Amino acid sequence: MSDEQLRPAWSEQFTVDALQELTAYGPIAQITPEWAWGGSTGLGIRVAVVDSGLEYDHPALEGCVRGGVGVDFDPVAEDGVRYVEENQPQDMFGHGTACAGIIHSLAPQAELYSVRVLGKKATGRAAQFAGGLRWSVEQGMQVINLSLSTAKEEYYALFHQLADEAYFSNLLLVSAVNNIPTPSYPSLYSSVVSVAAHEGHDPFTYYYNPNPPVEFGAPGIDVEVAWKDKQYLVSTGNSFAAPHISGIAALIRAKHPELTPFQIKTVLWACASNMQRMVD
Amino acid sequence: MDTNEPTADPLYEQLLRLVQAIEATRKAVLPRSDQELLQSIVDAAARIFGAAAASISLVDEQGQMLEFRVAYGAGNKELVGMRIPIDKGIAGYVALTGQPIAISDVRKDPRFNQDFAKSTGYVPGSILATPLLFEERVIGVMEVLDKISAPSFGLQDMELLGIFARQAALAIHHSQQTQGLSEALVRGLKELALADKSEALAELFSRLAEEQRDQGQTDDLLALAGLIHDISALGEAERKACLDILAVFREYRQRRQRYF
Repeated sequence: MSDEQLRPAWSEQFTVDALQELTAYGPIAQITPEWAWGGSTGLGIRVAVVDSGLEYDHPALEGCVRGGVGVDFDPVAEDGVRYVEENQPQDMFGHGTACAGIIHSLAPQAELYSVRVLGKKATGRAAQFAGGLRWSVEQGMQVINLSLSTAKEEYYALFHQLADEAYFSNLLLVSAVNNIPTPSYPSLYSSVVSVAAHEGHDPFTYYYNPNPPVEFGAPGIDVEVAWKDKQYLVSTGNSFAAPHISGIAALIRAKHPELTPFQIKTVLWACASNMQRMVD
Repeated sequence: MDTNEPTADPLYEQLLRLVQAIEATRKAVLPRSDQELLQSIVDAAARIFGAAAASISLVDEQGQMLEFRVAYGAGNKELVGMRIPIDKGIAGYVALTGQPIAISDVRKDPRFNQDFAKSTGYVPGSILATPLLFEERVIGVMEVLDKISAPSFGLQDMELLGIFARQAALAIHHSQQTQGLSEALVRGLKELALADKSEALAELFSRLAEEQRDQGQTDDLLALAGLIHDISALGEAERKACLDILAVFREYRQRRQRYF
């Protein structure tokens, strides 16, 4: 069996050989990275990191964590979860801190919020997940970074509803696709910005894939990331691609607060590194 | 077999042959036990990914602990049987999120429980860990450690291990299922043989025995399932056994077709 056959489509599309050059024409071709985020620091943009928690005092985050919530599974509670406010959040594993560190490195003045959706048991995760999304929508977050996903079919409708709710609430949901070829929700919905890893390392180099469901490719291979207990390590996964796009989205939102999620996706498309802009 | 049963009965002889055929088929298709199956999977994983070590841990019924069931390479004896909470360590992260992760420079990784690693006498330099998923549920975690030819595992290793792990998870589930069902089937058939010695039944058994002999390993199980279906009307336990076998196999084949 050849390697080609074994590679799932969504990361294959961002390999050097498979990458497609795209062209933008007319007024839309006038959208450039400089226009989109040049000079922006993400000032005041509220970004929720739905993950394993955030280590609020990790040096890589430079005090940008403003608070957060722990979403714990509780079968007798409404919606099956309990919310515990965490003003000085911690990280169970380090994965959320890793994502937050990437966002902060791109958008240093964005405000980060920890939404911890993992607990001590394997059960109830999808309910925690949904609870975390709901909390983020209710708290008026402007960007949600979701580097986790679920393959559970039974949650297809719930996540679809939450993704739409986020979209209609003017909240941009950036979601990593799973690294293994299995359906992953909510990354496969059109209302979210779905991201897989490409092989490059420049944080602002990202690609658009004209053959979705996975639309964007950003760095995710051998990325040096912040980790639990004020440490750093080198890791690989689509998980680390999504926060690159979240960071850029925060920059765009700070500079162009009038743009809706749909328009931000268009701006991201127009500014992709594989886009040739043909201005008359 | 129960020695109280009448050994001279020709139907009994046929039944005995049938049971032996079932046993032979199971052994031919799958290793003798879960443990052997798991061991062959980690051995294969270590070879395919050029890893110095590999392990499989399974999630316990409460979903709170991971138990290391088999390991290959350094520290393997110490590792097997160890249990870790699911909210700790790299395997725990993968089990909770269902997401694979590759880490190099793992000594800096606090998720990697250093004390635990030291207690096995083996601290790896690079790790690739992927979930064992069955029907969207994480049943365990497969880890390969220390890629021999490179400082870290790449994205392609991650994708390959993901595909390998999916097959492994199906095999593990299938093996557990088959083992349980095979025992139920043998019990059911014994009862059946004692209750009804009609010619039709004898013919069924002989046909079954014949098919067992003539067909290939995997087809044998499918043929067996089809024939068991014919006798499923005879009892609830048998019927359920047949349905379960068919369902497992159908899924197994469908998934294979979908991805290969």
